[in-house]
Parts: sequence; C-alpha cells; structure tokens
Amino acid sequence: MDSIHDRASIVGIGHTEYSRDSGRSELKLACEAIGAAMADAGLGPADVDGIAKYTMDNNDAVDIARCLGIPQLRFFGEVAYGGGGGPVGTVMLAAMAVATGQAKAVVAFRAMNERSGRGTPRFGQASTAQGARGLQSYLSPYGLFSPAQMVGLAARRHMHLYGTESRHFGAIAVTCRHHANLNPDAMMHGRPMTLDDHQNSRMIADPVRLLDCCLETDGGAAVIVTTPERARDLRQRPVHIAAGGSGAGAWNHRSVVKDVDSPMSESMVIAQRLFRDAGITQDDIDVLFIYDHFAPLVLMAIEDYGFCKRGEGKDFIGDGARLRWPDGDLPLNTSGGNLSEGYMHGMQNTIEAVRQLRGTARCQVQDARYSFVSSGNAVPTSAMILRRDA
Amino acid sequence: MNGVTAFPYPVPEYGAEPYWQACNDERLVMQRCTACSKFRWHPAPICPYCQADGFAWEPLSGRGRVHTWTVITHPVHPAAIGKVPYVVVEVELEEQPGLRMLSNLVDADPAAIAFDAPVALGFERHPSGQKLPIFRLA
Repeated sequence: MDSIHDRASIVGIGHTEYSRDSGRSELKLACEAIGAAMADAGLGPADVDGIAKYTMDNNDAVDIARCLGIPQLRFFGEVAYGGGGGPVGTVMLAAMAVATGQAKAVVAFRAMNERSGRGTPRFGQASTAQGARGLQSYLSPYGLFSPAQMVGLAARRHMHLYGTESRHFGAIAVTCRHHANLNPDAMMHGRPMTLDDHQNSRMIADPVRLLDCCLETDGGAAVIVTTPERARDLRQRPVHIAAGGSGAGAWNHRSVVKDVDSPMSESMVIAQRLFRDAGITQDDIDVLFIYDHFAPLVLMAIEDYGFCKRGEGKDFIGDGARLRWPDGDLPLNTSGGNLSEGYMHGMQNTIEAVRQLRGTARCQVQDARYSFVSSGNAVPTSAMILRRDA
Repeated sequence: MNGVTAFPYPVPEYGAEPYWQACNDERLVMQRCTACSKFRWHPAPICPYCQADGFAWEPLSGRGRVHTWTVITHPVHPAAIGKVPYVVVEVELEEQPGLRMLSNLVDADPAAIAFDAPVALGFERHPSGQKLPIFRLA
C-alpha cells in the first residue's frame, strides 16, 4: 500500500451561509460549520477526535473542541500555504490520520470573516505597515501587494507564450457565475454575468479584470473524514478518496511569482502520480473542481493537471460551454466556486464535489462517479480525486 | 489608512543588508555562488541551484529585458491612490538566463512596453531614504 487510495472517506459536510458580514465571530462560524458536518454524518462530539486546519485560520483546534464538547482529541494539524493550498491539504491530513489509525474521525474546516474584516484582514487590500519584512521587502516597496497583481504578471506571460486571450479567462468566470445562478445559497445568485460583462469589467492589474477575481466572504465550511469501513455504516452515501497529494515545484523555491515557463509546476508534481494512484485517467473525471482564486490560474491548472497540454487551455475551454451544467461534458465548480458562490478558500468546492458523488447537487451531473478537486495553484498546493462506490 | 503616503520601505532581511546598502550607492549587487557561479535574486543564505554556502556580492550591469509585466490600475494601498496606473515588471537580467527580479518600470507608456524589450537600471529614493532599484525602457 503506497498511497492514500481508498483508505479514507468523506462522511459529513456542512457550511454556514456565505455573506459579506456574518455578524458573528470566526469561532462561532467554525463551530456552526463543523456542527453541521457532524449532524450530516450522524456523528456526535465523542465520535470526532481530530481537527485539521488551514494555517491561516485564526481558530484554535482546542477552542473548537471545547465549544463543540469534543472530549478527546487524538490528532491536530495544519496545512501550510493555506490559504489556497488548504481545501484539499486539510482533507489529506485528515485522511492520513484516519488511514494510519491515529484518529477515528477528523474534521477539516475553514472559517473566516474575510469580507467584513472582523478577524481576518481582506486579502484584496494591502497592509499599511510602514516597513516590509522578509519576502515582502522585495515586493511591497514597488507597490506589488495583492494576489491579483501577482497573477497579472503570470497571466500576461501565459498570453504571450500561448496566445491565450482574456475571453478564455472570461469563459471560466461566466461558467462559475452560471452555476451560482442555479444555487440560491451563492453570494452571486441572481446576478447573471455575460462574457461582455467580463470584458467590460474594470482592470485590476492588467490583464486581470475585476471579474477574473474571486469573491471575499464571511463564513465557515467543514468536512468530516473517516475510514471507508466506518463510512459504510454512517448516515450518508460515502465518498472515498481515490487519490490525493501535495506538491511544490522548483520554481516555488527560486521565484517569487508564478513561473509560467517552469517545466514542472506545483500542479504537475501532484499530477505525476495522482491519476496513477486512483487507477483512472483524466478522461474518467465526471466533474471538475478547480480552485478558482483567479480565472487565469484555473486555465493553467487545467493544463498542468493534464486535462490538456500546456498552452492548449484556450482550445480546451473555448467559449466555456463544455464546462457548464447541464450540457457540458466536464462541468466546472458546479455550485459557483470561489468566483461566484463564496470564497471559503476552496472548501465550498470540496463540499460540492462530495454532493456530486452523493447525487445531491443542485447541478447534478448524471451518474457522476469521479470528482477532481484542486487547491489553489501558484502556491504550493494539493489535489485529490474523489469517488463513490460503484 | 489615512496619512499613509508611501509604499512600505524594505526592512533588510538578516544577511541581505549588503544588497540594500549597494542600492543606496546606486549599484545593483547580487550574491554569486562561489561553487557554481550562479547569481540569485532575491538574497538567500544558500545557493538554490547547487546548495553551496559560499558566495560573493558582485555587481550587475543593470541591463536586461522585459520578461513580463502588469499595469496596476486598482489601488489596494493608500499610497497607490495617487500612483495608479503604475507598472510592476519582471526583468530578466543579461548576466544569466532565468535570473529575474521584480521591480517597477517607470516613465513608460504602458502601450510601449513589449516582451523582451531592453531595459536599463535606475534608482529611486523611497521617502524613508532607502534607494530602490527600478528600470526604464532602454
């Protein structure tokens, strides 16, 4: 046994509403989301003995255990680069803990007041500290602060090398908005978007436009992981981890912003064994959950996870019709994603990937058997393939 | 937020002081590995190419080409409000393939910027007094 293949399963999902101002603390949001996931699984506090969190999450595992009445914690851990590296990385931590018998059932969660700023500073705004330290000392003095600005550098390079156009990024944004408009829980429900809307949206960091950028959100989201054996006795149809991994490429160590020219990106490090571990190919994936912090990076992830060759993302995506439910052959982020459902650092995509395999998604892909889920690229990242029982 | 009129100044990392001191003398220097002869940016304690410890601070010509750039139009920092649009550039320096650094491209019409366009080094004084290496189209 040399991988996580079929050694852990997601048995519970839960989330709060996604909003611009939750009106309550980040600890409250975490407890509500985790509590909802426990109820969904049919597990009580004594059944849960592990907590995996994003490093960026302000909540403390022991605070959560106290609030939820979890009597014994046997595992707690954090995923670095989470941030965007977390929505799969935390699930993988949980999976490894249950697969090795270190814990029985582990929660992976994200909770933040990132839009209201009540606890977490908005990522789309810069710190006003007068001195910049560490890596920032080489960036902030030039006015290079936000992720969108760094993505601007990478997106322009990709456009130059491969002929990618802004409309290809727009096709991704329009797809996520289309799905959000089929999801009454999405922040952008009731606010349709056309490609023209995207093309006319204002520049943030040319070539990145406003509508290439994810939302900023208050909320919480959680999943619960246990072993496949236990999963089959629980309330929900189990969803198994067919494969998963984390990755960073050499550029992550040598370059500050994403090196589009790098022959081995962080996504490619993972892709090398992900599909082999799952025993399937990219063609077997029924529904795609690509971390959508910025539309240009979604296109690059589709390429680097091997759904097409590098540079062919523009042809693969085309006008985006193939990514849109119900007619597309490979629906993308079917609840609206970070771009249009709510920015829960991707955990909302993990939850929707589970719904698809349970058969309970609003935009349900018929007979979906395999979901692909990735964390945010352009930082060290993680990805997994989920499956249901045949 | 109000009253912040400058981007942050660089607080030199432990070991990176010579980089910033040379900037104040209007010289661009980088660490060059004494084992594999490669330059690196930004400063780092160990060579990222061969993992050797030894290095010397050596000057660069300041000549390079535009690798990529972004025109920042949305201010995310109070000091950016009066500065947008401004250009952040990644320059590939002539001394070594793949040796790239981030900076500003100043005095440039965004429409005139092109991939591989030659650039030349200059320096601008931050209000803190620290000089920053910047580039102009050559």
